Amino acid sequence: MTIYSCEHEWEAMLTCIYEAWTSRKGQQNIRLVLEPIEQYTLFDEYIHVDADHEKAVKVMDAINQKISPFFYREIAFCSIAYEPYILDNIFRVLLLGFAYGEQALNMVQYEAVMDNRKIRKRLGMEVEHFKEFIRFHEVAGRYVAHIEPKSKLILTLGHAFMDRMPSEHWMIVDDVHMEAIIHPMNQDYYYRKLNEEELEQLLHTEEANDEYTDMWKTFFDAIAIEQRANYRCQRNLFPIWTRKHVVEFEHN
Amino acid sequence: MYDLQTNLTLDEKLEILADAAKYDVACTSSGVDRAGKEGMLGNSRACGVCHSFAADGRCISLLKILMTNHCTYDCKYCKNRKSNDVPRATFTPDEICQLTVEFYKRNYIEGLFLSSGILQNPDYTMEKICEALRLLRTKYKFNGYIHVKAIPGASQELLYSAGLLADRISINMELPTQESLGKLAPNKTMTNIIKPMNQISSTIANHRLAIGKNARMERAGINDHLVNSIFGKAAMNGQDMIFGENYAEIESSTGGLEELKRDNSKLYLPAERMDLNLKRPFAPAGQSTQMIIGASGESDFDLIRTTQSLYQSFDLKRVFFSGYIPLNEDSNLPALDTPVPLLREHRLYQADWLLRFYGFHAEELLSEEKPNFDNRIDPKCDWALRHLDIFPVEINKASYDTLLRVPGIGPTSVKRIMSARRYGKITFPMLKKMGVVLKRAQYFITCNGQMLYKIPIEERFILNQLTDMERANTIKIEGSNQTATQMNLFTDFGLQTSVG
Repeated sequence: MTIYSCEHEWEAMLTCIYEAWTSRKGQQNIRLVLEPIEQYTLFDEYIHVDADHEKAVKVMDAINQKISPFFYREIAFCSIAYEPYILDNIFRVLLLGFAYGEQALNMVQYEAVMDNRKIRKRLGMEVEHFKEFIRFHEVAGRYVAHIEPKSKLILTLGHAFMDRMPSEHWMIVDDVHMEAIIHPMNQDYYYRKLNEEELEQLLHTEEANDEYTDMWKTFFDAIAIEQRANYRCQRNLFPIWTRKHVVEFEHN
Repeated sequence: MYDLQTNLTLDEKLEILADAAKYDVACTSSGVDRAGKEGMLGNSRACGVCHSFAADGRCISLLKILMTNHCTYDCKYCKNRKSNDVPRATFTPDEICQLTVEFYKRNYIEGLFLSSGILQNPDYTMEKICEALRLLRTKYKFNGYIHVKAIPGASQELLYSAGLLADRISINMELPTQESLGKLAPNKTMTNIIKPMNQISSTIANHRLAIGKNARMERAGINDHLVNSIFGKAAMNGQDMIFGENYAEIESSTGGLEELKRDNSKLYLPAERMDLNLKRPFAPAGQSTQMIIGASGESDFDLIRTTQSLYQSFDLKRVFFSGYIPLNEDSNLPALDTPVPLLREHRLYQADWLLRFYGFHAEELLSEEKPNFDNRIDPKCDWALRHLDIFPVEINKASYDTLLRVPGIGPTSVKRIMSARRYGKITFPMLKKMGVVLKRAQYFITCNGQMLYKIPIEERFILNQLTDMERANTIKIEGSNQTATQMNLFTDFGLQTSVG
């Protein structure tokens, strides 16, 4: 079997799909994986693929024109998931897409489509969690939030928060993937990668807790009815791994 | 009425007034989609957003506070009743606005839920509430979600203002009959609750018609496929709007509402003309209410029937149930050590969902002969067991409404089944992956003519299987009061020792 590998980045992933597609080795003889690879298998051939803008655009156009823009949006969204097999899954779904068109996404009889739905659902939940559980800290009239998601989902948050607070300066920092989106007042938001120095400095913004943070903690404690205490339900709905930067859980 | 402690900090006030508001159950920010605007703060999403979950597992979506916990009423069940000696506080309108806006910017909340005790009289209280909301919408430019409680007995002009400023407006029914209301809330009357509820409903309907929408609130999409649901044409007897006319159901439980039929059911124009200039729709997320469970003697059938008629007659968006938590000692109330009826509340919510998303009617779930839900199994399984004649159904052929009546299959799974059926046959492993709960569904379905196992379609057998599964779940919700002890032949089975 031939295994194509690339970085977890959309352009590289599309290039990898292009290479695998054009190799003409037969889809059952090909697998696509994301780097870093934990352990190489003994008898397979590994081919590393670097991002190539032209090849990526070719795949992009093919999907948009031969299948549909909706299909493209769906798989592009799934591509940010942290599951290591996401690239291979996208490749399999694409093959079905080219064979059957857009409705391939509804053909749950195929395992790849079912897996894709599962990933999409989990990813959708993860994105929703972070839309809900992000906590901003006020630093001199600007609002800064830190998150530690599993998937590279920061770009999916931008639009939601721009709609929510269009006339505020705010910024969301992904501490794990070292990237941020920045929104200046009444303007569009933009994306940038952070270096270690910048991240180090940004981490201090969490120390800026003011009276409203304390009041929120007071409110959070007061609103629970002790006769109905149900920590198990709370953990179900507010998973512990998502609580990392959530101020109301800090004192616990 | 005045504060004895006038030097409370904002933090202390918040603690008192959040604590006083926590028994109100509604904390949803759903029902209206509104995009953000430059220069304003906030938006609203119809699906609702939960920003946190409290230690009792309930979501925190809105800043749920009372404007004041001073109250001139003396409702027996309420913590803030006049005769209780509890710390009292009152927010100023500015304080409410500051808290809302600052919490909102930090992404702690999705909006404001404002209720209040009765300060001086209903009109004065409602006026203060409107003042706070007006300030929030104008000076603080808040565009997020607001849920406001209408004070029973407040004048119509003020209710109109409140509806224009808020997204959802609600009046707590608390108890479904005039009899229990008279016993437990002597200052409230059913007419005072039903009348404004009706006026608000018809005002919402008028506003909806004026902007070209259907007079009735939007319901979950699945209802489009269900002709016989409580929101369907058949159930409504072909009438488009029945406000001010159809009180039959409500009246049977409340009595003496004849004058309401003749009453003009619209609200008068707002007290403040400026509120109209804000050009906001009137309560776009609709109206809701809540009922207390377990404080008075109503059966589940009474509650669920009232719920259904509230949905049909007043087009309420939601009816909430609140398990009674004993806070006060009174001869008319359950004793202080009565456990919170969590399981009963859970069953009622399950039934409420069956009404709103599954096309069931209250009369199908319960009857005068069987007025309460079975603790052991959920209402849908209970219904299915009483109608074994229509089961098993074939997954690859059954219609929308039949599939929805199978225990373990919900609206989402039905949609998946329907879309997958277009491309091929469905098998049991696929059903499992689609999210169908096979441990319940297996007794009621076939895939390509075959059941999952060889199962006798027999009520007692299936009931035993289902209750066995449900037992752990039931204990989890209810909390087990039973303590395990070693079985003893002599005490438990009455064996005699033979001496000698």
